[in-house]
Amino acid sequence: MSKTDNSAVDADEEMKEGTASAAAGETSLRVDGISKSFRHVQALSNVSLDINRGEVVGLVGENGAGKSTLLNILTGVLDADEGQLSVDGEPVEFDSPREAADYGVSLVRQEQDVITNFRGYENLYLGREEQRLGVLSRDEMREDAQAFVDDLGIDLDVDAFVSEYSFNERQMLEIAKSFHVSQKSDNPVILLDEPTAALEEAGRELLFDLIDDLRDRATFVFVSHELDEVLQVSDRIYVLKDGELVDETTAAAATTDSLQQSMVGREAADEYYRVPQQRAAADLGPETFGVSDLETDDLGPLSFSLREGEIFGIVGVEGSGKERLGRVLAGDVPKTGGTVTVNGDAVGDTSVAKMVDAGVGYIPKDRKSEGLLLYQSVLVNTSLAMVRTMNGRLPLLDLDREEQATADAIEELNIKTPGPDALVHGLSGGNQQKVVIARWLAQDTPILVMDNVTRGIDVGAKEEVYRLCRELTDRGVSIVFIGDELPEVIGMSNRIAVMAEGEFAGEPFDAAAGNKPTEEDLIQEMI
Amino acid sequence: MSSTNPNAIQEWLSKQREQRTMHDWITDVGPFAMLFFLSLLFAVGTREFLTYNNLINNVAKNSAFLLLVALAGTFPILQQSIDLSVESIVTLTGVLTVVLIGEYQMGLLAIPIAIGFGMLAGLVNGIVFTKLKVPSFLVTLGTLSILMGFALIVTGGSTITFRNQAIRGIATGTWIPGVPNLVMWGLLIYGGTVFLAWRTKFGRYCFALGENERVVELAGAKVDRYKIYPFVLSGLLCGTAGVLLTLRISSASPNIAGGLLLPSIAAIVMGGTALTGGVGGPHRTILGVLVIAVLQNGMNLLSINPFVQEIILGVVVVSAVAMSIDREKIDVVK
Repeated sequence: MSKTDNSAVDADEEMKEGTASAAAGETSLRVDGISKSFRHVQALSNVSLDINRGEVVGLVGENGAGKSTLLNILTGVLDADEGQLSVDGEPVEFDSPREAADYGVSLVRQEQDVITNFRGYENLYLGREEQRLGVLSRDEMREDAQAFVDDLGIDLDVDAFVSEYSFNERQMLEIAKSFHVSQKSDNPVILLDEPTAALEEAGRELLFDLIDDLRDRATFVFVSHELDEVLQVSDRIYVLKDGELVDETTAAAATTDSLQQSMVGREAADEYYRVPQQRAAADLGPETFGVSDLETDDLGPLSFSLREGEIFGIVGVEGSGKERLGRVLAGDVPKTGGTVTVNGDAVGDTSVAKMVDAGVGYIPKDRKSEGLLLYQSVLVNTSLAMVRTMNGRLPLLDLDREEQATADAIEELNIKTPGPDALVHGLSGGNQQKVVIARWLAQDTPILVMDNVTRGIDVGAKEEVYRLCRELTDRGVSIVFIGDELPEVIGMSNRIAVMAEGEFAGEPFDAAAGNKPTEEDLIQEMI
Repeated sequence: MSSTNPNAIQEWLSKQREQRTMHDWITDVGPFAMLFFLSLLFAVGTREFLTYNNLINNVAKNSAFLLLVALAGTFPILQQSIDLSVESIVTLTGVLTVVLIGEYQMGLLAIPIAIGFGMLAGLVNGIVFTKLKVPSFLVTLGTLSILMGFALIVTGGSTITFRNQAIRGIATGTWIPGVPNLVMWGLLIYGGTVFLAWRTKFGRYCFALGENERVVELAGAKVDRYKIYPFVLSGLLCGTAGVLLTLRISSASPNIAGGLLLPSIAAIVMGGTALTGGVGGPHRTILGVLVIAVLQNGMNLLSINPFVQEIILGVVVVSAVAMSIDREKIDVVK
């Protein structure tokens, strides 16, 4: 709870050690007593923090803690009600992202802001194209852009179309763009908003390496839900909760548990994954879901089975095929061989419709593009699967049943919504994800295939999802739990299979309570 | 939103409610306000506008065709595609009706055959669109031209007629006292499409597909099938319009449905069905139809030069649509 006073002192001390005025450790961006409210909601109250030159500063907090508001104020998108920003000791007021960039402050967004059918350099110069007599100076821009990224040590071909870039390369392009728009500043402050949300393990390492390489040329603010990453990459971490700064700590002195505790204000220990509620192997029901010699062009043969009430974890690096396996089980990607059985009955050709009929529900990794009708109501989203068979063969809707199922789901899953008719778009990430889960519960789907079910939702909502999974298994639901977060998969699963190059690497690990494998155990099999 | 602070949640919820209400209010009231404003204008400006004869025999009867075609176009647009071939389907089914009644003396049987032909045209649109994955605006632009070509060949480019007074009664009669048959058919079909949109799986999937096809697919729906149905329905409604139009005037020509496409799309969008799909519905399309019908009727009553009418109609249509575009999906606000 040292807040800003200490860090200011630290900065002063380091300044004495520093030589030039632009020495590392000097306060680069100062936020002093910023408050902001939207109508009745106090989004930020009296937040003060110092971002020092050359530092990587972590910023964590639950959804709604005020992180996005703060980033928006720092980049001139929003005006603060009170408080003062200063850059290199000079008080500033940003009216637009462009002004912020002139002072070296820019944001790399969660959703990538690149135009994919433009070339790399065109994106780099977007909105600030160089032209002569109204004609674009393409060659110059291309050469300058290439020199620019080369100089940053970023490995990119700026003449290629962004659509040909990997996700990582797009992100690097955006980071390069941050430097590019901040050229007036000798040490830009680059705000990274959830930069790893869409990256898999290898991509994250690349990003972290890049941040490390660039830290003598820029200052980074790293905003993320993934606390282990924040710890790994940051020097210092600020914790926001309900719009207030509740903690400031060095990364060395913090753990994920301690951060979590300050974020949610409660103890979050081994209980997090509700391991004591995990069903013991002896306590599981009969086999409900069987996969034998399942094959596609790039998968398998894969065999495994789940018993009633079991959670079967699947982990693997990017490209290991775990996401694809999820899609095959969903019926979304056709299998070329092998059989899938549900309660002993083989499902022939696996189309989504057939798998849903058989009782398998899929919860995709990206809920916004594949999970939810964002501009439709909670009711429409909840009943989307059950409407298929609502009135037997009649094509009519049963509105009473839909309303009942939605009301039950809101109650049972504790979905925070103004009502069943509210648009899903307005709900928080955690509540949106609950709606996706509710869709399958509404028709009592006995087997759920979840791909990164807690991706991008806050700690509190994650806990609720974990609790829900335990309750479902108590009711006899079996879950295929595919995940990128090893601690989560380890904590939740009864058994864990490791995928590598489309196949299982050895027998699944037993993950009974008290006998959980470590992350290292899994990683060894993953690579 | 922190789960530990119930007050914050309450405040956030009320904020959400406020936003939603505001957005709803604009979309809901817009077309009504327009209709009211125009009616007021013409009621004050002309003596004839607010008479039973004018409202029923001119406004309602004349707008029946626009209503059918606009309802036809609503479902493809709801699911984020579009049917541009409506005019041609109306025309060719009309021509077919004349031929079947006049040359082949089929009588009543001509009606289901002509309408069935409209459905077939829609089915072809739908199949090419979904199975060959050609964008719907291109497919239907193609069929617009193809079907019009057939209509020209069959008619030789001129007006063809039939003689059968009895069968004409379906369109020209007044079976319910005070309600011309055209108006009756329009209202019946309107009710049917509203029912389809709100009480059937087909309707639900139209909205859902318009919003995000992948989500519907992963929820287990047979997506292709539900993407074809709106085109078949469109063919059915256009076929019906073609038959009624022909029965009313006992003749058909290649331009009987000319100029219906733009007003129909304008009516759909003005009513509140966004071109981006997923919101609105046929229950709202009738509002857009009435706005256009009242505008045309009022201009006639005011004896405005027909050429000038064209200009005014175009301006009103484009500005109304431009206004309604603003009310579409609100951007993500964080």
